[in-house]
Amino acid sequence: MSKVIAVTAFAAFACISAALAGPTPAPNGAYAYIGYPNNGQVVPANKPFRVWFGLRYMGVAPKGVKYPNTGHHHLLIDTDLPPLDQEIPSDRQHLHYGAGQTETTIELPPGKHTLQLLMGDENHVPHNPPVYSKKITVIAK
Amino acid sequence: MRTTIMLAVVGALVLASAQVCADPSPSPPGAQEYIIWPPDGAVITGGKLWVRMGLRNMGVCPKGVDVPNTGHHHLLIDTDLPPMDREIPSDRQHLHFGAGETDARIELPPGKHTLQLLLGDHNHVPHNPPVYSKKITITVK
Repeated sequence: MSKVIAVTAFAAFACISAALAGPTPAPNGAYAYIGYPNNGQVVPANKPFRVWFGLRYMGVAPKGVKYPNTGHHHLLIDTDLPPLDQEIPSDRQHLHYGAGQTETTIELPPGKHTLQLLMGDENHVPHNPPVYSKKITVIAK
Repeated sequence: MRTTIMLAVVGALVLASAQVCADPSPSPPGAQEYIIWPPDGAVITGGKLWVRMGLRNMGVCPKGVDVPNTGHHHLLIDTDLPPMDREIPSDRQHLHFGAGETDARIELPPGKHTLQLLLGDHNHVPHNPPVYSKKITITVK
């Protein structure tokens, strides 16, 4: 009986973990980071400032390009991570860099804002395990 | 005499067509490559460092994949720019990042070293016009 429960629990766990990530494997140790601005940094409000996309132990490829251990950057603004087993939304809070860009400039209204990077595969779906940066806060003044 | 002229014409045609075949990928206006880190004149202790490779107004794409306005990074160490009309050499002074990497882990012996980035197209040939960074000098202690 306990064996059955264990097997069921394992199966349930396997289903859950499968549902938490997309189908493209990410290499071991891969991570994204925001090279600039720094966490807590004050940036000019309503003026363009640069955001650097950092990526280690993985490469960049434009959308639609299937190449092992690559993906393209998505910048999440003032939002949490989206579901990690589906295509990343494309809107003003989820900016896509499908041309293989590794930096951008954005403008933010005054106030506190969060920034986070999330890699997507050739179909804009996060990898397994998902590759994302720490969420940082910047203050636009 | 006539034969000589014919040969010269044929020779010129062969040369011209060779050049057409070797036509590099165009780079978009404003494309710029630069070394984000280390800064020019940096002193590095220990000789192991990450070089963060920056690219503006253009995207990164792995080798062998032909996507307009993209390329992959090459890090030149202690050497000048190679010929711009052919494949970038691949050796210890010309490191290829054909998997779309944007951060490079390198190790250098003590002393002064120069670093320079040169973007290559899907065939490892520089673009037209070529996209390369300023050459910087760092010191390893």
